[in-house]
Amino acid sequence: MLESLASLLYGFDIALQPQNLLYCFIGVTMGTLVGVLPGIGPTATIALLLPATFSLNPISAIIMLSGICYGAMYGGSTTSILLNIPGEASSVVTCFDGYQMARQGRAGAALGISAFGSFIAGTFSIFGLILLAPTLADFALKFGPPEYFALMVMGLTVVAYLARKSMAKALMMAVFGIILGCVGLDPITATPRFTFGILELADGIGIAPVVMGLFGIAEVLENLGVLTKAAVFAGKLKGLFPNREDWRRSIGPITRGSLLGFFLGLLPGVGAIVPQFLSYALEKKLSRHPEQFGNGAIEGVASPEACNNAAVGGTFIPLLSLGIPSTAMTAILLGALMIYGLTPGPLLIKNSPDLFWGVIASMYIGNLMLLILNLPLIPLWVRVLKIPYSYLSTFIILFCLIGAYSLNNSTTDIYIAVVFSIVGLLLKKFAFEPAPLVLAFVLGPLLETALRRSLILSDGSLLIFLQRPISAGFILFAVVVLVAPLFSHIRLGRGLSEED
Amino acid sequence: MKRTKISTSGASAIFWVAVGILTCYGATRLGLGSVTEPGAGFIFFWSGLILVLLSLMVLVDSIRSAEHMVGDMEKINWAKIALILLSLLLYAFFLERLGFVLTTFILLSFLLGWIERTNWARSLGVASAAVLACFAIFELWLKIRLPKGIFGF
Repeated sequence: MLESLASLLYGFDIALQPQNLLYCFIGVTMGTLVGVLPGIGPTATIALLLPATFSLNPISAIIMLSGICYGAMYGGSTTSILLNIPGEASSVVTCFDGYQMARQGRAGAALGISAFGSFIAGTFSIFGLILLAPTLADFALKFGPPEYFALMVMGLTVVAYLARKSMAKALMMAVFGIILGCVGLDPITATPRFTFGILELADGIGIAPVVMGLFGIAEVLENLGVLTKAAVFAGKLKGLFPNREDWRRSIGPITRGSLLGFFLGLLPGVGAIVPQFLSYALEKKLSRHPEQFGNGAIEGVASPEACNNAAVGGTFIPLLSLGIPSTAMTAILLGALMIYGLTPGPLLIKNSPDLFWGVIASMYIGNLMLLILNLPLIPLWVRVLKIPYSYLSTFIILFCLIGAYSLNNSTTDIYIAVVFSIVGLLLKKFAFEPAPLVLAFVLGPLLETALRRSLILSDGSLLIFLQRPISAGFILFAVVVLVAPLFSHIRLGRGLSEED
Repeated sequence: MKRTKISTSGASAIFWVAVGILTCYGATRLGLGSVTEPGAGFIFFWSGLILVLLSLMVLVDSIRSAEHMVGDMEKINWAKIALILLSLLLYAFFLERLGFVLTTFILLSFLLGWIERTNWARSLGVASAAVLACFAIFELWLKIRLPKGIFGF
């Protein structure tokens, strides 16, 4: 514990350097902006800014990219409350009561409690991260290829289980993601695989163009003609500080939301969306006035907003301690770490303590910046929302094209982004979710290497995955997750989306 | 109407069956190796096979029920989307030939003026400002090398 605190102080020493403070500020501001804007999310933004960070040192770069992750959670609530359109997928639930509060003239209180709740939850999850990540990393040193393979299989099945549409379709996307992720030279024999003679594909398909296409351009194409007439809250914003009664009603939900979000966010594959729905359902169940939910109950804003922020902190734990991303967003961060020449995994904390502790300390500073800056900046965000979507969509497309091109200075990546924009649009229209695809795309090469090494280790026996206790535990969990829907028609992800 | 929903969901499943089969075929050509020493096509073959099985499940499900309905396909403006995609492909084709500034200016003017129906004077003005801003941010500040093309800019 004392050692962790000393390391945290060291982290603050790094995070408070002027350059890192500046990039933290840029990250949280960018995050808030993309969170506010419907049509582009943090995943695409991180991919977009990735090439721009090559000239930075890795610590500043990761500090900025992390800032986008949690900044987007703050920004997403603004659009949900003022526009009734979630700026971010993980702010969907905030629309239910946040927008109703705005209609009743309490937009200020809704925005205020959402910012304070996010800050409290963010702080809680950072302390959770400090306590858990190093311990988990020490534990993960015992992991060999079978454990990593089993863990990744478990993560992918959890993602599919939590899919809001068909679980089979989500699994299909995960498998397709593995196929795409393994395109390129074979890691052992260097045989070109599914490259179709295209030289640029020898190193594999880049994550940036895939994400630009799936989450950036596809989103714009999908919103053509839909987001043109968004009605922005027209009233004057007042009373951004919640009153005593608001606090009395919100403190319990914020605490529960923080706990729920953090611990669910820890699980590979869970992310921030499902915990938010769960926290809303929990508060509704615990409330003495459940009928107020959906009609402007402040608990319905406080808990989900705390929850999605805490969940983001939670998702950083498997990323930083195991090197396993649990959401599409952290999958890109994993890609970024690799590009900077760092090896994500249990040794990251030991080998690069400056990066690990610097990033954690910056998260606390970033949360503080967001709290201080976010409330006064809300009128500015409202103005941003009034920019016609025709302009925004055009610029989103342009930034995606530049982002895709600049990673390798190759027009092939633009073609890839365009192809994946069509793929992304069709997937959405045919009720396939792109998130499992991206996660599996990043995990694909790691999964393949772990599988092949495991089989070589065991001389071809698949029993190796069941003979080692940790790996057997992960596989068992994955099997339970896969089989559970056969015995019960209730599935978490689907049940939640239908209920709400 | 119900039949349309089943057939679109079923059609997507058939597409994925085909993708799975082609992946398996490509994997066998790469060489599957053995369980003791997996080859270059090993992961592709098993992934392709699982994809086929899952797609068949979705296909059967779509035949049995109309549950997996497709979203509002008719709301999509396919002509507009095709135009945008074509313009993006042309952008990729001409980017290194004509340079970032000129190609991007043409693309933005087209997207704003033609696709979004913004008035042309404003479209050209916004496109020029955006190109200059992007050039300043990416090329001058972030030191990202943008293509120059035959005109040198």
